[in-house]
Amino acid sequence: MASVTLEHIKKIYDNKVVAVQDFNLEIKDKEFVVFVGPSGCGKSTTLRMIAGLEDISEGTLKIGDRVVNDVEPKDRDIAMVFQNYALYPHLSVYENLAFSLRIRKIKQEEVHRRVVQAAHILGITEYLDRKPKALSGGQRQRVAIGRAIVREPQVFLMDEPLSNLDAKLRNQMRSEIILLRQRLDTTFVYVTHDQTEAMTLGDRIVIMKDGFIQQVGTPQEVFEKPKNLFVAGFIGSPQMNFFDAKLEKNGKDYSVSLPGLTVKLDAEKAAVLSERGINSMDVILGVRPEHMNIHFEPTGNAAEATLAVNEMMGSELHLHVLMKRQDEDNIQNGKSVILRVPTLDLKEEQRAHLKHGNLLYFDFGSKVVQLFDPQTEESLLH
Amino acid sequence: MAKKNEIPEVDIIVDHEAGVIREVKSSKLRSQKAHERRVNRGIYILLTIISIVWLAPFVFLLLQSFRSYLTEDGGMVAYLIPKTFSLDNYIFLFEDGTYLRWYGNTLTIALFVAVIQTVIVLSVSYALSRMRFRGRKLLMNVILVLGMFPGFLTMIALYFLLKQLGLTQEGAIPGLILIYTASSGMGYYISKGFFDTIPKSLDESARIDGATRFYVFRRIIMPLSKPIVIYTILMAFMAPWGDYVFASYVAFGKSNSYNVAVGLYRWVNTQDYQGYFTRFCAGGVLVAIPITALFLMLQKYYVEGVTGGAVKG
Repeated sequence: MASVTLEHIKKIYDNKVVAVQDFNLEIKDKEFVVFVGPSGCGKSTTLRMIAGLEDISEGTLKIGDRVVNDVEPKDRDIAMVFQNYALYPHLSVYENLAFSLRIRKIKQEEVHRRVVQAAHILGITEYLDRKPKALSGGQRQRVAIGRAIVREPQVFLMDEPLSNLDAKLRNQMRSEIILLRQRLDTTFVYVTHDQTEAMTLGDRIVIMKDGFIQQVGTPQEVFEKPKNLFVAGFIGSPQMNFFDAKLEKNGKDYSVSLPGLTVKLDAEKAAVLSERGINSMDVILGVRPEHMNIHFEPTGNAAEATLAVNEMMGSELHLHVLMKRQDEDNIQNGKSVILRVPTLDLKEEQRAHLKHGNLLYFDFGSKVVQLFDPQTEESLLH
Repeated sequence: MAKKNEIPEVDIIVDHEAGVIREVKSSKLRSQKAHERRVNRGIYILLTIISIVWLAPFVFLLLQSFRSYLTEDGGMVAYLIPKTFSLDNYIFLFEDGTYLRWYGNTLTIALFVAVIQTVIVLSVSYALSRMRFRGRKLLMNVILVLGMFPGFLTMIALYFLLKQLGLTQEGAIPGLILIYTASSGMGYYISKGFFDTIPKSLDESARIDGATRFYVFRRIIMPLSKPIVIYTILMAFMAPWGDYVFASYVAFGKSNSYNVAVGLYRWVNTQDYQGYFTRFCAGGVLVAIPITALFLMLQKYYVEGVTGGAVKG
């Protein structure tokens, strides 16, 4: 049980590539923190620095109250699960689990007790005599997790543990990790590039890009109040729609407009904008696909678009539409927008209308609007 | 006869270029098979010829070794197959102490070299494969370039160095062991290539589990590297086992320090060629036996070791 504190952590590789920049984070005891970001964003490097597999170029790393910058991995009291499982191929599952305990010269009965217990938790008791080669991907991943469990470490590190599994197994293992976490009740640091995993697993999410932290927050915070354009686009699936729009100020009121559609912002948002002294300007408007309302007839205040692709997802439809061409210079020309519509909300004849090339109309409420500065890409609201 | 090799009347072939599925009459396929058979036949004939050429000297040697030095002529005879098969040559080798002495010398040197060189080669390869330190690339390149110079360029310098240390003539055996093992680290290339194919995360995982680098090497890497360990041992054993150049000048003039190659050559070169030739052949056969046996036992690993870098396990 321990907290992990990263203060101004920086990583520069020998070839002068800066992988991580000024990383500040305090991971509380028993917290589950997820590092997420596209590949090359420095999330794995940061995790490996916590593990001691990479040298820390600058900054201080503490586990508990102890500064561990120059402590060997074996003395940090951490356990790590690797993406490729890293099971020892020549040892049986039992010996794989017992490996770390044997190094620590723990008594045979105790080793046996812990191995059997871990195997029981993960449901791999019947495979204890097998070699890793004879296991499926999911079973191997369980063994890898089991190897970390038997250690009873202060901190659990997981480096994309589910990336090598197929989609179905990944969902299953994800919920198992949630259960495991409740059971072990220790500090977890988890790295993934999959925002769904990050959202479902983390108490807090650290979103990274190009070595910089973009935002740290609970899944709800990063979803509802993205700090910048990158976070808004990265979290949520399908991705948030972005429009080049105009923000206009009329006295106390603000409104944002697209061709054919003007939305008056609610008082809360207007207050934030006016407090920040924001006047009329060009903005990037963000609206999530599930927050768009679809109309089949013109309503007077709705953007017009042509249906390009209709993806039937089962309980909902993903409609890819192209916004109507206004004139040659309009930036919105052919702009692709995604609408997420629950299948049950649509009548039979409406669904029949959803064919390639047909006209549709959409609008959205003020509550769901995100606004970003086109220059800095920072949020104007949060 | 079961129609095991029956070829179907029609074959369905996807023509990707045209984007269509075509039915192709199987005559084309049949002629392909026939062509394959012809090629195979050619290959086997060629291989047979090559193996005859390769094996002929050994068969010749073996036959000579059974021709008694007491009843028949030695080197220059006009026939291949002995008139009577006898073990006289072998009996001589075992009763006269000289040959056994040489054999023992060779074995001692080869065993020591095999052990020392294997330890050094594997350690160097592991370090070069896993650790990142200043000058690593430079070191590897320098070793590679140095390795391109033939070893006996250093012959004269080495001789004088060994002489200073008293490791020539009477001291030739430790001297030779020193020579053979001194540059062992330079043979890192193949085993480093093999270690490179073992995922690094195994090391990392073990280190987090509490293992030291040495523990990882001994308990994780070694058991996974059996083929390359065996390959390295074989190579380390063979080089001194068959060496003539170094052995001949380091042990120069002291029969007690000769290895088999030098000793046997002395027999036919400086003594009675006619008389000793068949015994020379018998000695050669005895030299070949252990190495052949080793190869036969370990050839599976040997092949794996040589090709290990190419295919990821």
